[in-house]
Amino acid sequence: MPPREGTYGLLAEFKTPGDLVRAARQAHQDGWRRLDCYTPYPIEEAAEAIDVPRNKVPLVTLIGGLLGGAAMFALETWISVIAFPIDVAGRPTYSWPAFLVPAYEWTILWAGLSAAFGMLALNGLPALYHPLFNAPSFRSGATTDKFFLCLEALDPKFDLAESRAYLEGLQPLSVEEVEY
Amino acid sequence: MAEEFHRATFNKPLPAELGAPAFVDGWRNRALLVGVIFVAAAVILGFLGQAQDGLGWDHFLRAWVLGLMLTFGFAVGGQALLMVQYCSGGKWGLLLRRPLEAMTSTLPLVFLYWIVLVLFMKRLFIWARYPDAASAFKSGFITQMQAHCINFKKPMLNPFAFTWVSLLCFAIWGLYAWRLTVLGARRDTQGPETTPYWIKKLENISGPGIVVYSVTITAASIYWVMSMDVTWFSTVYGLLYLVEQGFQVLAFAIIVAVALSKAEPYHTLLRQTEQHDLGKLTFAFVMLNIYLNFGQFLIIWSGNLPNEINWYLDRIRGGWGIIITLDFIFHWLVPFTLLLSRDLKRNKKRLTRVCQFMIFAVAVNLFWLIEPNFKDAARNLHFSWGILEYAAVPVAMTAFWVAYFCMRLKTRPLVQVNDPHLAEILEPEHAHA
Repeated sequence: MPPREGTYGLLAEFKTPGDLVRAARQAHQDGWRRLDCYTPYPIEEAAEAIDVPRNKVPLVTLIGGLLGGAAMFALETWISVIAFPIDVAGRPTYSWPAFLVPAYEWTILWAGLSAAFGMLALNGLPALYHPLFNAPSFRSGATTDKFFLCLEALDPKFDLAESRAYLEGLQPLSVEEVEY
Repeated sequence: MAEEFHRATFNKPLPAELGAPAFVDGWRNRALLVGVIFVAAAVILGFLGQAQDGLGWDHFLRAWVLGLMLTFGFAVGGQALLMVQYCSGGKWGLLLRRPLEAMTSTLPLVFLYWIVLVLFMKRLFIWARYPDAASAFKSGFITQMQAHCINFKKPMLNPFAFTWVSLLCFAIWGLYAWRLTVLGARRDTQGPETTPYWIKKLENISGPGIVVYSVTITAASIYWVMSMDVTWFSTVYGLLYLVEQGFQVLAFAIIVAVALSKAEPYHTLLRQTEQHDLGKLTFAFVMLNIYLNFGQFLIIWSGNLPNEINWYLDRIRGGWGIIITLDFIFHWLVPFTLLLSRDLKRNKKRLTRVCQFMIFAVAVNLFWLIEPNFKDAARNLHFSWGILEYAAVPVAMTAFWVAYFCMRLKTRPLVQVNDPHLAEILEPEHAHA
């Protein structure tokens, strides 16, 4: 695939998370759909404001946890009943109460791993390149104290001049054009 | 500066009306009505059971212990959670403080319930009925193991020690209940400049209070329930009740908070954030509860020793396997799977339903703990009119307790005003926006 060229979008910087959330809510209300918020720490309200669809991480976590628990329980059952049965003071070889503890631990372990890796897989990390880092203000503060709203060029409403005017109407600190 | 501006612009004002809404009186009346109906049912069942197998009034008393443990859990568990909250801080707790204080101050009613236990000690505890264990064994009333245990545990399991240890526990809980509720009210009469003093003061009372609570609840649960079976012992027993109390108190507190939020001041104060937090905390207790219960089971199951395992066999064989399975499902599986959901924890109606079910599960668990202690029921779950007392007596006792709780709730404003967290609770839901 040839490298994309042209404008990635318009990036508006806001001073406070409150300003960002209000602007994002406004933009979403005005019909913008290809837009995203960038904040130094998670702000649930920003996600709500632009109506981010529900992700599949909970489902991945659930499936991972159930598979982990089932796998460990099956492993213990196989070892104790089929592969290497030992008579421990007359207890049944299939001693499910004793199997529950490792099975539970594996449920937690695999749920945790599935959550972490499922999150990475679904959000596209690690990404080696993102056009937003071309914007100097983004580089200098997106992870510390600056709050950004980006209107992407892919949105059918996008028009360089009009969109810039629109963004400026939301009272940001600055608006920058970001190249791919 | 910006923050000041933000507060002034966006914060909701404190509601003008801080007292409990009028419909709390309606709850009280409804609870009293339920109580009276179930008392009538309990008396009828008592006669029916007595005519059937001569155990009607015995079942009445056993069910009374269930009701006692349930209401005791609300009263003293509420006090414990109040103390935990004073030490841990947190907005969830500021929200619950007044309901928890109201729960705490219902202790006199629990004491009245307990007096019945003392009066009919001989019907409930074999160590009280057969102080002379050797001759009771010879006459065939008790087993050799029971006779041995009654003799061995005599210094602890005798009516004198039972009464005085329980009275001491009540005195301690009463002292804490009195201090916590009186100081809670006094704090509100003073200005915000006294806040640091009050935080320290209540911390200093609550910290040691939690330690004392864990000791007293161990003593109470061993005397009131565990000693019905003289042969058995488990070091985690008190802790099981401690966790159970956290479980039921949080469930009840959520029900109350959500129900109160139909009107001011909770309409303003109960934000989704804190409701979600309370749901998460409840979830933690669901987990802790199964952890301890299953841990105890696993250790005794693995040990498989004749002096320990019988307690479980009494509660698994002869039909009781159904009850323990239901107990597991009600007490852990259902609340665990439901409370995993974030949406459910943020939904008032559904969270209330789950919490109501959790309190029902606590009662089922107590039934499983209490009834198999007796010879006629151990390893032999069977229907009798008397066993229905477990559905009648505890409901009546809890209903009267709820009525008393509602009366206590009406006595003071529902919000502690002299607390720095109050401003944060009044912030809009979207704290950043």
